[in-house]
Amino acid sequence: MNWTQFLFRLVEPVVPPRFVIKRLLLLVPVLFGVASVVFAILHLAPGDPAIVIAGQRASTEQLEQIRQELGLRRPLWEQYLSFLWDAARFDFGQSYSISRGNSVRSVIADRLPITLELAIYGQAAGILLGIPLGIISAVKQDSITDHVTRIGALTGISVPIFWSGPLLILLFSTYLDVFPTSGRIDSTLFLPETWTLFGRELPLTGMITVDTILLGNTEAFLSAAHHLFLPAVVIGVYSTALISRMMRSSMLEVIRQDYIRTARAKGQGAKITLMKHGFRNALIPVVTVIGIQFGTLLGGAVLTETVFGINGMGLTIVTAIGVSDYPVVQGTVLTFALLFTLVNLFVDVTYSYLDPRIQQ
Amino acid sequence: MSTDTETRGTLGRLRASPFLADLLTNRLAVVGLTIILGMAAIAVYARVTYDFGALTSSQLGTEITDRAPPGWLGPAPATQQLFGTDAAARDIYKRSLYGAWLALKFGTITVGTSTTVGVGLGIIAAYYGDVTDNVIMRTMDVLLAFPPLLLALALVAIFPRDLGLWRAVVALVLVYTPRFARVVRGAALKVLEDEYVDATVALGATDPRILVRHILPNTLAPITVQSTLNFGLAIIDLAALSFLGFGAQAGTPSWGLMLSRGVENGLLTGEWWLSFFPGLFLAITVLGFNLLGDGMRDALDPRMREAVD
Repeated sequence: MNWTQFLFRLVEPVVPPRFVIKRLLLLVPVLFGVASVVFAILHLAPGDPAIVIAGQRASTEQLEQIRQELGLRRPLWEQYLSFLWDAARFDFGQSYSISRGNSVRSVIADRLPITLELAIYGQAAGILLGIPLGIISAVKQDSITDHVTRIGALTGISVPIFWSGPLLILLFSTYLDVFPTSGRIDSTLFLPETWTLFGRELPLTGMITVDTILLGNTEAFLSAAHHLFLPAVVIGVYSTALISRMMRSSMLEVIRQDYIRTARAKGQGAKITLMKHGFRNALIPVVTVIGIQFGTLLGGAVLTETVFGINGMGLTIVTAIGVSDYPVVQGTVLTFALLFTLVNLFVDVTYSYLDPRIQQ
Repeated sequence: MSTDTETRGTLGRLRASPFLADLLTNRLAVVGLTIILGMAAIAVYARVTYDFGALTSSQLGTEITDRAPPGWLGPAPATQQLFGTDAAARDIYKRSLYGAWLALKFGTITVGTSTTVGVGLGIIAAYYGDVTDNVIMRTMDVLLAFPPLLLALALVAIFPRDLGLWRAVVALVLVYTPRFARVVRGAALKVLEDEYVDATVALGATDPRILVRHILPNTLAPITVQSTLNFGLAIIDLAALSFLGFGAQAGTPSWGLMLSRGVENGLLTGEWWLSFFPGLFLAITVLGFNLLGDGMRDALDPRMREAVD
């Protein structure tokens, strides 16, 4: 191998293959469509933004002035184009009411990490528990373990988060008083805005369990983990149920394939065959499902936040719709859609590495 | 298995269909079907027997105690109500039963509409291909790019509040239709590869005839499974929108709204029955549809199986 080949080997994993570039380009029309839908929603929604901002008692002149400032008197196509331009720069203006005077961008920057933290813990629990459960269930098909896992998983996806959440709060908070009912950390604890690394001040992530570790504050970390436990359990059980179900059916399909029989016939041990040939191939559809169900998980985060009073993106969007704070609705919905699309892009790319046939 | 001539009729035809035979031997699917039929019976019973007005309006000021625990719980102020009463002294038992009617009614409308529209769009996209296909499916892609519940939330904002559960229905139809369109398009494309379609075209059949008589019947299996699984989802999502305050109007005995009131009024005071019973009904109903849908998918022709997610 000469040095150019060696260099190429080094950067090869970093250079996106043509497939990835193609997928990225395909995102453009979809995101354009998504932004258009969001624009349409704002303009079809009832109510006058000027009244939302200034209140019912505002004078006609005041209202007219606000309409002028918001550009609502401009022709629709002009408003549409300027919305697209703003959306591309991720600028949605200022919140009408829930965080008045602050930019929607700063509202999202504050609350997105909170929702992501919840979603990541839920997703992690789902992957760590769901995949092994699904494999065991498939390998021991029709055993007691399989039946219990299957029925458990079906129950898990049938029980709504807004029922299991309140029941857990009733049991563990109201009756047993071992977990807090809402919030993210004890109200007596205050976290600074920044943390220091090698003498440099850096902004915090907004994910409270991460931040408390960065700050080295054990007490705050324990309090945050204590607060996050029940919400994470609720969302984790749901995601475990979804993933174990998919893993089971995928694994069942794979272990009936010829190449598994061939490997066994060649004298390879059952366990090695299962892990080397079965697991890797069964994982392919599961990766896709993890991507698709990430959208469901984000919906789950909205409900979990509402039940547990966690002020993330979910609670924000619910409040914003309730009070017609349209810039916040637009910004949060668009962020959710963007996040979901990017996760699915990531999944597609992972998929193509697991199964190179897809790239063609 | 009896081969008596008298059982030949329907039963014989039933056995001839491997799909139905497989389905009926699947114990979980039968349990699911039983739950659904039971819930449907409850729904009709509640609809016919109970006075909707008494279920929705506050009973405060009458002799009924508010927030009374279920009657069988013991000595505490004895109540007649099996599931206790809510903060407006309404009977939770009757309201939960009536909730079955609302859930099944609005669930059926939601799933029925999105299936019909989705099937239409999917078959048309597959059959005409080209520009038609692209216009339909790219529009569906845009709708699929949103996380489902969030698109529904954004859409309910468009409709006036007094539409109640109907605005949740319209929002969810827009959320579900693309999924059906995608499944049906995939299934229809497979059918179109079959030679009998070419034969029908050669015989001079018109487009609508080919679509309705030949392609539609052959995509029915995956559609049915998708609809059943989606039914459970629709009932949860309708309840979720009501729970978040964007569905049923105040007072309506919908499970989602009862849960949200239960959380508001009884969570910190330990009045568990306010949220326990409506949620239990909701979870059992959804479980019924998921059990049946799962069983149907297992019984389905394996070639079609991959079309359903």
